Amino acid sequence: MIQATEMHQALGAFDKTTSRWGRITMIIGLIFSLSAPAYLVFFAGLDIEIAGIFAAFGALAAVFGVIWIVEPLTYFPILGASSMYQAFMIGNISNKLLPAAMIAQATIGVKPGTRKGELSSVAAICGAATVHLISLFIFVGLLGTWLVSVIPADIIQTVQLYILPTVMGAVVVQAIVSQKAPRAAIIALAVSIIVVLIAKLYTPFGLFSTAVAVIATATLAWFLRDKKTLGTPEDTTNEELPEGPVY
Amino acid sequence: MNISYQLPMAADSNSTDILAIANSPFLWVCAIGVFLVIVVQSVIYMKAASKAAPHIGMTPQELKTSFRAGAISAIGPSLAVVMVAVALLTIFGTPAVLVRIGLIGSVSYETAAAAIAAKTAGAELGGPTYTQAVFGLALAAMSLGGAMWMIATLVLTPLLKKGDSALRKVNPAIMMVVPGAAMVAAFMVLGIGELPKSWIHVVAFLSSAGIMAILMVIANKVKRPWIKEWALGIAIILSLAITYFATRL
Repeated sequence: MIQATEMHQALGAFDKTTSRWGRITMIIGLIFSLSAPAYLVFFAGLDIEIAGIFAAFGALAAVFGVIWIVEPLTYFPILGASSMYQAFMIGNISNKLLPAAMIAQATIGVKPGTRKGELSSVAAICGAATVHLISLFIFVGLLGTWLVSVIPADIIQTVQLYILPTVMGAVVVQAIVSQKAPRAAIIALAVSIIVVLIAKLYTPFGLFSTAVAVIATATLAWFLRDKKTLGTPEDTTNEELPEGPVY
Repeated sequence: MNISYQLPMAADSNSTDILAIANSPFLWVCAIGVFLVIVVQSVIYMKAASKAAPHIGMTPQELKTSFRAGAISAIGPSLAVVMVAVALLTIFGTPAVLVRIGLIGSVSYETAAAAIAAKTAGAELGGPTYTQAVFGLALAAMSLGGAMWMIATLVLTPLLKKGDSALRKVNPAIMMVVPGAAMVAAFMVLGIGELPKSWIHVVAFLSSAGIMAILMVIANKVKRPWIKEWALGIAIILSLAITYFATRL
């Protein structure tokens, strides 16, 4: 029989270590990730204005600000505190880390939400991170860099010119499918067409077009939501989460 | 357009040779730094888990099995991410792709962020206006955007852990509707905004969306979840190939 107090202490120590070192490593990761652009802005001799960065950041915040806050809130009940610091640094949470954690828990037959389940998912995420770092390093860092150096210039030019419509075409379909919200998708399509047309007629509007489209769609989607399934806050349970953002 | 991507040159704000700056040694150091931080974190977490496991009746074998199960299940998704990442190497350079797309972020958000940032400077992602200075601005915006996720995690996790029920229950209906709609709208307007530029842009957008839709239907029909994992990479690479042939017509 395991003593309850002993168990409590052991888990307390685990929580303490992971939340302490989880935070420290995440802050160091944050510093590394910000150092790269800081170097380009301040030391590389490029002509980049700070005001321009604020403008770009403002435009981003208008588009993704809500998601910055909501994603950690969405994933916390699934991941648990300790894995939060792993997941938001390793990335690809919904398509890689969550399945890894679920498969690990199923393999050793523990339930998510239990303490055994939490340790199992921490180990699974460590395993997933190991594989991910190795494959990124070999196939992107080494092979990818070499591949780019041998690809003919006209192909590179095509990729550079048309990457945005290519990525967005696939991503928008993926987002629609994973969100399972056809109504929001139709609203987004209608709003986007109107916004793009206005930007075409009145060029200065183009600067705000993304933010306007996002805010208008979110507002309309809320007021035009299916009130039967998403009626009042009280009768909506958080049990059935969407497949999750593509983050 | 002058693409001399093999010869690193000094920084030049107006040069479109972004790889000269995007593959600079300092950026590599930062990328390797993020790699090492994740390695250190994983080691600390595994050690903490093996220490706690026996006290809650979990055998070291169970922990090892979990690690291995996680590792094996990550092979497919990781290679799928690799495929997408390689397609973006000429836009962002290797170090930025490794950190932003491979690790912290994801292809959808980072490409969207870079495009939005370029727009505020009156430029476009990847085109003749995509200069070294615009790349710097885009990387700054992507990194600051990614930082907001990490800061939100750092701030919210301790609050949620304390069982801050007010935070935990922020109107779930809003949480279900608003972020999803915002996300779809962001990708949609960025994609549709490309269409008036040329018929080749239309080909690029529609072929990619079409391939993705077909793959999603097939994945649901034959119940093979791995198709969903690979769909993004396959759609991007195939539609780039289609677009390349369209430019040759």
